Amino acid sequence: MFERFTNDARQTVTQAQEHARRLQHRHIGTEHLLLGLLGNPDTLSAQILNEHGLTLDRAETATLRALPGPDQRGGDLDADALETIGIDLAAVRERVEATFGPGALDRAPSRNHRGLLLSGRHIPFDRGAKKALELSLREAIALKSKEIRDGHILLGLLREAEGLGARVISSSGIDIATLRIELERLLAPSARRPRAS
Amino acid sequence: MNDTAQLASDAGSRDPGIGLRAVRALRVLVERLEALQVENARTQGWSWQEIATLLGVTRQAVHKKYAGGRGLLRREK
Repeated sequence: MFERFTNDARQTVTQAQEHARRLQHRHIGTEHLLLGLLGNPDTLSAQILNEHGLTLDRAETATLRALPGPDQRGGDLDADALETIGIDLAAVRERVEATFGPGALDRAPSRNHRGLLLSGRHIPFDRGAKKALELSLREAIALKSKEIRDGHILLGLLREAEGLGARVISSSGIDIATLRIELERLLAPSARRPRAS
Repeated sequence: MNDTAQLASDAGSRDPGIGLRAVRALRVLVERLEALQVENARTQGWSWQEIATLLGVTRQAVHKKYAGGRGLLRREK
């Protein structure tokens, strides 16, 4: 799915994962994609959102207001039950995290789109984020772009509409319809606008 | 008796409510550890057969579980 993503678009997804990890959230949602877009200030998406008054800080504040994380650590790992058979979950976690990173034990394995079972090191996309990424491909096709740019991800986010990402954008006072039109103009093949100008 | 010893003695009380809960907790923990270790082994280039041998299961079992059972014949080395 990510084969056609530009470097900036890939960065957005990587950063979305890092934001989710840092905030100790168990999924990557549209809100993390939004943070990923805003975290790369040279991109078209970050610039246009900044111009409309939405900064990374403001988006994160709004996200945390809606999702007052962190998720409960451990998920359904039952520390008390493990203790009855002499296993100290905190000690196990400490060693596992030393090797595999924070939170590695706190997420259940999940299957990716190819059916591979991935360990808890990976934070899975939630439905909204998957949908937004799929829609970014359609937006790119509709705008006759061979590659998927960060701006197409933002359009996908707006089209997905129900996720926290889109809600953070609209609750910051940005008119979604206006933003769409601006984005489509800037991403149109005729615009021939070097990125980040 | 400290807390852990008290709980351990609870576990020895033959209360299935405690014992089964412990088994379940252990299984959740094992599944997570196994996924981390299998993924790590694959990243380091281990074959499914090598992983299966150390886990004490068949190559098909580990492949089905982790690779969704696809491409075993084509991609297995």
